[in-house]
Amino acid sequence: MKSFYTAACMLLFFYTHAQTIQDGLMMPKGDLCTGFLFTHDRWTNYWEGTLKRENGNIGTITTNSLTWLGNYGITDKINFVAMLPYVSTRASQGVLSGMQGLQDLTLAVKFNALEKSLGRGTFRGFVVGSYATPVSDYSFDFLPLSIGLGTQRVSGRVTLNYSWPNGWYVNGTTAYTWRSNVTLDRPSYYSDGQNFLTNEVWMPNVMDFSFMAGRIKNGLELILAYHQQNTLGGGDIRRQDMPFVSNRMNFSRVEATAMYYLPMIKNLAVRAQTGYTLAGRNVGQSFYVTAGVLYTFHFSKKL
Amino acid sequence: MKLLKILVPSLLVAFLWSCNKEVEKSPALPALEPLRLDETAGSWTPVILSNNYSLQVPLAAPAATTSDAYKAELTTIKNAQAGLTKQQRDVIAYWSVGGVIRWNQIMRELVARYNLPPAPREDGTYVFPDAENPFADPAFPFANPPYAARAYAYVSIAQYDALKAAWYYKYLYNRAAPYTVDASVQALVPRTSLPAYPSEDAVLSGVTAEMLKILFPASVEQITKLAADQRNAALWSGKAAPSDISAGLALGKSVASVITATGSRFRTDGMGNAVGNAALWKELQDSVGFGDFYKSAQIPWLSLESPPRPPMLPNFGKVLTWNISPAQLVAERPAPPPSTSSDKMKQELAEVKKYADNATREELRITHKWADGAGTYAPPGHWNHIAEESIVNERYSEVRAARAYALLNMALHNAGVGCWETKYYYFNPRPSQLDPSIKTKTGLPNFPAYTSGHSTFSASASVVLGYLFPDRAQFFTNEAKEASMSRLYGAIHYRSDIEVGYSHGVLLAAYTVNFAQSDGAGN
Repeated sequence: MKSFYTAACMLLFFYTHAQTIQDGLMMPKGDLCTGFLFTHDRWTNYWEGTLKRENGNIGTITTNSLTWLGNYGITDKINFVAMLPYVSTRASQGVLSGMQGLQDLTLAVKFNALEKSLGRGTFRGFVVGSYATPVSDYSFDFLPLSIGLGTQRVSGRVTLNYSWPNGWYVNGTTAYTWRSNVTLDRPSYYSDGQNFLTNEVWMPNVMDFSFMAGRIKNGLELILAYHQQNTLGGGDIRRQDMPFVSNRMNFSRVEATAMYYLPMIKNLAVRAQTGYTLAGRNVGQSFYVTAGVLYTFHFSKKL
Repeated sequence: MKLLKILVPSLLVAFLWSCNKEVEKSPALPALEPLRLDETAGSWTPVILSNNYSLQVPLAAPAATTSDAYKAELTTIKNAQAGLTKQQRDVIAYWSVGGVIRWNQIMRELVARYNLPPAPREDGTYVFPDAENPFADPAFPFANPPYAARAYAYVSIAQYDALKAAWYYKYLYNRAAPYTVDASVQALVPRTSLPAYPSEDAVLSGVTAEMLKILFPASVEQITKLAADQRNAALWSGKAAPSDISAGLALGKSVASVITATGSRFRTDGMGNAVGNAALWKELQDSVGFGDFYKSAQIPWLSLESPPRPPMLPNFGKVLTWNISPAQLVAERPAPPPSTSSDKMKQELAEVKKYADNATREELRITHKWADGAGTYAPPGHWNHIAEESIVNERYSEVRAARAYALLNMALHNAGVGCWETKYYYFNPRPSQLDPSIKTKTGLPNFPAYTSGHSTFSASASVVLGYLFPDRAQFFTNEAKEASMSRLYGAIHYRSDIEVGYSHGVLLAAYTVNFAQSDGAGN
């Protein structure tokens, strides 16, 4: 049973890229899973609107981030999740300066709303409400080198999960994210065919969904996932223009994850993940790798 | 558990309720109620036209308001007013703010739309935009700061001259507005006693659309539609009869055709040669600019773009200016920058490096506030934006608003030409060229460093606006100084560039203020 709970902890890794809370597992009451993970993300090709290209004035954009995360079991059915990344960017060519700083704090409450035996396995349903907000006054008007988009977000997510007794499971999740408008440091900007004489920028909302299949066996878990995100509005990057905070940023991505529960150290697990963007619009075709360690504290007397 | 069940949904609802996300394209502005009608504007000094309007842009006398033809026109207005849709009322409200203000906003949008450099081709070369094929990639024009400065100036001047001619005829013929002639015609905009023939709205629609169609040909559809909207608004609001409008449109168009005629200043001011050619670009590298300063000892400017891009409009410094002769412009050229091998340059480079590595968030805010780079309305557009508030607050008549923008944009054009003349005379490298470890907080412009365009533009603009609106002079100066410093904070200019550029801008603006003091408009 312990490895199952550690698995719940490890699946938090998905937050870093999808920035959502989409796994099908829970921490039990009184347990805290916490740790750090490091992500290295890079892209050279990007989509200027729908046109795929490179740009000699930026070369390859590299984003490194170190994320703290925690998942606490308020009850067996309700978990509280928090995460906070420190992000650093740089361009391999050209003169533009990289940026770095603390990015956005995400707080989420996850509720296991449904759990029943179905056929040979178990069917689970989850709802997640999350809120995210920038915690530093970073500039989001210097894309693609800004560390974030500076918007506050409220997200509602539904996850359905089916697991078999032999360790296989499948997972489907979708979320709708409301995004607050943002305020630029400049009094005017051009977006989607119009010049706005204000510093306020309308931020379109976002929808995402993922499908994943995985298996947990003998302390090793392997997961394959497909993830898609669509921004519900916003303009394209114009020809030879810089990206803009409210662009219609869409992408689809495949992700593979391997995780291992260390047999010699109780409650400690390591995980590695990689992902690649298949198609996109107004985003870079990124390739990333993530590695991290998480430790579970059992504050309850259950185990 | 119970608490959470209540708390989470209520926070969600509160959040969604609080974010009414609609963003207005422009702040709400009041309908124009001019404080003064400027009855004498027909005698103010024209910029391009001769002051003999009846010879250069003749306009026949209108029919009397008692004529049957005019009465039929009144019926047309009343019929239109009886069936106004919400959309038509919105068009009236939009243009009621004033045609000069609205067209200035539209022009800023056009500049922002076309202010994008051509993308490199596969073979690493660049194609220049082609006025004969404006819809291609790259689109025509590349409305960079010099192009924009000249465009803002020509359009503002054309509007100003056209409105002075309109005022001349308004007070020559003295035909009242329909809502004054006939009490059953509603006034859907604030009433004035300004004579209606020719309609100032139609004059503006004609002259502006003709100028913009030449300067931004790929946006012809939007320009044409907006111009038609403006004329419709004048009719629907009860302000102008169809014959006021057709006379205004004809007058506006004929002013534009005088200004843009073959052999006119507009066609021969040197803009056509501003791009230069491969031989010139090489010559500038080899001999370190047009000037003979330092020469062999100097490191010449190099494009830091990849692939390297030809320098932006090297001959723009030879384009004709307003209120300043070519000889005066050369005489006002700043003294040389510190030599690239001097200790002074090393000190200045170290200062840039300090900002590149340690800029504060406030300095970054200032850098981005004034970036006005690719894809924006450019520094001249930013100063047109700044002027808007004062022009609206002062409740200027259309002709006086046009004067304010003409003066501002003549000064901005002069600043651009003067600055470009200086840049290509000295051909001084950017900080990141001398020290590649200097990374910038904003886009690095693809032309020499000395002197700073932002500083020259902003200083000139602040002087003219300070003359027009003395109560706010200190504000304009503070803004200009901040704009100037933003380029050092952004690590793309040395202190010499911004300080000398600023002084240069102040000097050049004096010529335009001189013109303003003697144009008969008073202040």
